Amino acid sequence: MKNIPLPFLFLIFLQNFSFPQDVNLYSAENRKQFADYLYCQKDYLRAIDEYEEIPSSVSNDTIRFKIGLAYLKMGKYDSASVSFTQIGVNSYFFNNAKMEFFKSQFLSGNFDTLDHGTNNYLTARQLNAFAYLFDYKPLPTKNIFLSPFEGNDKIAVSDFYERKLNPPYKNELTAVILSTLIPGAGKIYTKEYSDGIIAFLVTGLMGYISYTDFKADHKFRDWLFAGLTAFFYGGNIYGSATSAQIYNAHVNFQLNSDMKLFLEDKDYFVPDYEFCK
Amino acid sequence: MNFVNSLFVIIFISTQAISPQDGLGDQLNRAKILYSKGEYFNTITEMKRLIFFDKDRKYSYTANELIGECYKNGAKFSDALNYFTRAEINAVTPEEVYTCRINIIRINILRRTTGRALSLLDTLAKDTRFSNKTEENYYWRGWAYIFADEWDKATVQFGRIIPKNELSGFSDSTDNQKYSVIKAKLLSYFIPGAGQIYTGNYLSGVLSLGWNILWGYTTITAFQAKRVFDGIMVGDLLWLRFYNGNNQNAENFAIEKNLEISNNALLYLQKEYQGEKP
Repeated sequence: MKNIPLPFLFLIFLQNFSFPQDVNLYSAENRKQFADYLYCQKDYLRAIDEYEEIPSSVSNDTIRFKIGLAYLKMGKYDSASVSFTQIGVNSYFFNNAKMEFFKSQFLSGNFDTLDHGTNNYLTARQLNAFAYLFDYKPLPTKNIFLSPFEGNDKIAVSDFYERKLNPPYKNELTAVILSTLIPGAGKIYTKEYSDGIIAFLVTGLMGYISYTDFKADHKFRDWLFAGLTAFFYGGNIYGSATSAQIYNAHVNFQLNSDMKLFLEDKDYFVPDYEFCK
Repeated sequence: MNFVNSLFVIIFISTQAISPQDGLGDQLNRAKILYSKGEYFNTITEMKRLIFFDKDRKYSYTANELIGECYKNGAKFSDALNYFTRAEINAVTPEEVYTCRINIIRINILRRTTGRALSLLDTLAKDTRFSNKTEENYYWRGWAYIFADEWDKATVQFGRIIPKNELSGFSDSTDNQKYSVIKAKLLSYFIPGAGQIYTGNYLSGVLSLGWNILWGYTTITAFQAKRVFDGIMVGDLLWLRFYNGNNQNAENFAIEKNLEISNNALLYLQKEYQGEKP
């Protein structure tokens, strides 16, 4: 050692400190930090990839819960459900995971899951009530149905319940009969006012022309316009039935979209997490 | 200097050379390799990792720029725009700013928001820092007009480049191939079917002419025979219908043909043109 010049030894030693530290960007802690950053950037797919690369020895329930949330936000409800079920009963996130699991099940249309053994969870009961509204199962009595809700939510859900129970449908047969008696009346009944008036005028005009042609003994035109009258008359009856169907479909669509907006506004009755604040 | 001293000098210098300059630099290289392999998803992940750990924002420009390129290659133009804009914010030199702006313009051309591309090119042209880039400005202006389906204006822009750009002749030839929609309509106004014949749809043109002659003749003879009702009905329901149909047809054929010509030209440019493309 005595042959080694000290200044050089010192330089080599110093060098190790003077270089920027070679940070391991792929260490478990750095992966977690990066995954959290991606999650908060709403880059959920990459966040999941990063979280899943964290060794299981280091991984924890928060990570598993976030993976579930990321899948949920990506609309991958089955994967989200699997992630939430992996969270153990002793975990801090157990109850939240349960609620998110119910939300995943609801969003994937597995309404039956919400109906079994979920009474301990208000979220599940609330979502189960909406499952009845979205599904075609017979509705329970109003009191039972509204029991999980309170305040303004109860008023809004009560309105949905009424709209589901007594939808303001238009009867197809009534529309047909009305249009048979007065052309266009069926369309007016289904609130297609301009179509109804046009149908009435066109059928009436064709009928009148045909009538005058028969009266004037115009051999070809009388039958031509009689045929056109029959065509418009039949078309108006068929159109009224279709119009009633479209009206009813619109009633269903409106109810479903109002309920979806309500649920999105309430975030499906799950709590808000402060992971990105 | 004795042998031992020399040896230590060598060790010292070589340590400097082989030590990682810094982990982030390696990360950048790793991402660039992924990019060169076409693994755009992974490139974006690694670049985002670089951005996240690069607290001094040393690589912000490069990383954002490369992410923008990846998104562009994946046809995610809105995301690409977002990252090119971030790159511009982090650009240090005028050259970097210019590169970002051109990339933003190219994205606007690709997604056919050509009005925006042209407006950005105007801003760029007014910027004194880039006064030596005039010809490049004309070049991208030409491409913007190509994507706006205004081949005549593209010809003018490419024509301003010295030496003459090959795209100038190509745009001009494409423009010459195109049909005039107004001409097709006007021809069909005066001679039913003529507009269709002008656009190369001979059968449709002849049929249109035939129908118009037939129903025109029937209408006129009905009026001559004082069968006013018949005249109005045939004239209104048949002759006018065929006459209007003929005009619309002529217009539609011209538009369709022009679209076909433009698409073929764009396809040619995409596959055969060797120069820089948006």
